[in-house]
Amino acid sequence: MFLAQLKNELWKLFGKKRTYIGFGAFLLAQTAMLLAFKFTRWQSDFERLLNGNGYLASQFISVLTVSVVMLIPQIMLLMPLYATLVGGDLVAKEAEDGTLRMFLSRPISRARLLFVKWSAGIFFAVVLVLALGLTAVGFASLMFPWGGMFVFSPGQAFSILPAHEGLERFVFSILFMAVNAGVMVSVAFMFSCFNMKPAAATILALSFLFVSMVMENIPFFDRYEDFFITHHFKCWLLIFRDPAPWSQICQSEIILFAVSATAFIIGAMAFQVRDIKS
Amino acid sequence: MIELRNVIKKFGGRVAVDDLSFTVPRGEIYGLLGHNGAGKSTAIGMMLGQVWPTGGEVKICGHDVQSNRRAALMQVGAIFESPVFYDYLSGARNLEILSTYTAPTSKARIQEVVEWVGLTGREQSKVRTYSHGMRARLALAQALLPKPELLILDEPSDGLDPEGIHEMRQTILRLQRELGLTIFLSSHLLNEVEQLCTRIAVLQQGKKVFEGNVADVKAARGKVALKTSDFGNAAKLLRERGLITATEQDKFITLAGGHSTAEITQALVSAGIAVEGIWQNEQTVEDFYLNLVKPPPVPAKN
Repeated sequence: MFLAQLKNELWKLFGKKRTYIGFGAFLLAQTAMLLAFKFTRWQSDFERLLNGNGYLASQFISVLTVSVVMLIPQIMLLMPLYATLVGGDLVAKEAEDGTLRMFLSRPISRARLLFVKWSAGIFFAVVLVLALGLTAVGFASLMFPWGGMFVFSPGQAFSILPAHEGLERFVFSILFMAVNAGVMVSVAFMFSCFNMKPAAATILALSFLFVSMVMENIPFFDRYEDFFITHHFKCWLLIFRDPAPWSQICQSEIILFAVSATAFIIGAMAFQVRDIKS
Repeated sequence: MIELRNVIKKFGGRVAVDDLSFTVPRGEIYGLLGHNGAGKSTAIGMMLGQVWPTGGEVKICGHDVQSNRRAALMQVGAIFESPVFYDYLSGARNLEILSTYTAPTSKARIQEVVEWVGLTGREQSKVRTYSHGMRARLALAQALLPKPELLILDEPSDGLDPEGIHEMRQTILRLQRELGLTIFLSSHLLNEVEQLCTRIAVLQQGKKVFEGNVADVKAARGKVALKTSDFGNAAKLLRERGLITATEQDKFITLAGGHSTAEITQALVSAGIAVEGIWQNEQTVEDFYLNLVKPPPVPAKN
């Protein structure tokens, strides 16, 4: 029965036009960035950086390199927006529209209903990230050759990897990005379970992420960085380090899973005691 | 089928439902009346486990809603005022979505319900193309999916045109007649309640101020319409003889206890006042309700 409920929840989610805003925005952003990388100083700066470190730029300005270049700003700026937009809608929008009341006249527990909705949200997060990764590779392959991978993100990674290893790390990075998106959906979902408008749930979740990111970057909080979830979001870039810091990555991933579960439990507890009226 | 015992609901400091008790036996059509904010929707919310009571006990089909919601609602269908669906999906898809939250429901059952409510041929159209009446029928279809024994209807005719209201009324009667359902409804439409319900309760500011059979309400001694050549003199004479207690609009009289219309006629004719007509004016539920909730007269200042 759970699968049937999840299937129907996905029908509802993917039947709405606003669910596709994120996909559309990513496509536009990727096209713009690809053209910018190809036709502005961006590519030549990259080549200079590689040449300055003794590498032959032509071997490393490749599909994988350009894909990661395109992904960095999107993951930082767009992903939280679209993940929280959908997460904030999951419960609050249905409560606002009045459809939630119909579900709650059925013999189903509130916890079960929320679990189905949350699972659908996580599924959306995974699909969004997969689409993002695949379109990045697809778009990059239109203009750049296959080859070694160069990843440069100040403070996070500076790596040169052969193509097969680069691809392997890229797949892992997509996996970790999906976990990040899942956490963003979960935080927005938690707020959505309280008695508030969907926009308010989205804004609160974005504010939470933004405050975490700002505090993490204040030097005073350096020693407390493990307490900020945005610090743990960096796993998807850390995986490109050579060698990859697996123990740090595993620790961060466990924390992110725990944050997701905690957000779900807090949301479920708040929802359980709520009176649902039209 | 429904049993509320000393139910209280407070929202903060405001008491929405105050010590409400009633029982709805199987097969009855029971109406809950009250002004806006009287506590009708809150009471329905508590029956469906959507609103948690502050005190008291709510049982549906013999099961406590708070502790055993699943069993309590297994054979309950509900319709809310201005039914809302996923407009961007078809009617059939909406029914499928809702059915998965009750029990496995076959496509044949969904089709059966679609036919019963008269939506055949439109079930694959998107709900955004449906009229108010079709949405009401879809709402009824979703309520019938779990083969309910009890239907809870919160303002079922809300937003419908006169034809739609008539159709909904006929459908409710058909549901009881053909499927033997117990029906609990809240409504502002007193005429509708009068035509549908066998028993009613009236809520005022969260308190039950009346509960009884509709037949008893209608049979209650009310006003008598009197048509004479001289109403003023007739009223004066009847008052002097202690046969009436009040008059209204130069048309109605209220009989004093123990007296009949035959005595009135005899008194008037013997006094030479021609009686053109005299008949018992049957009390409607509307008259009864308005009298019941009428605010007490403000005492005149000296």
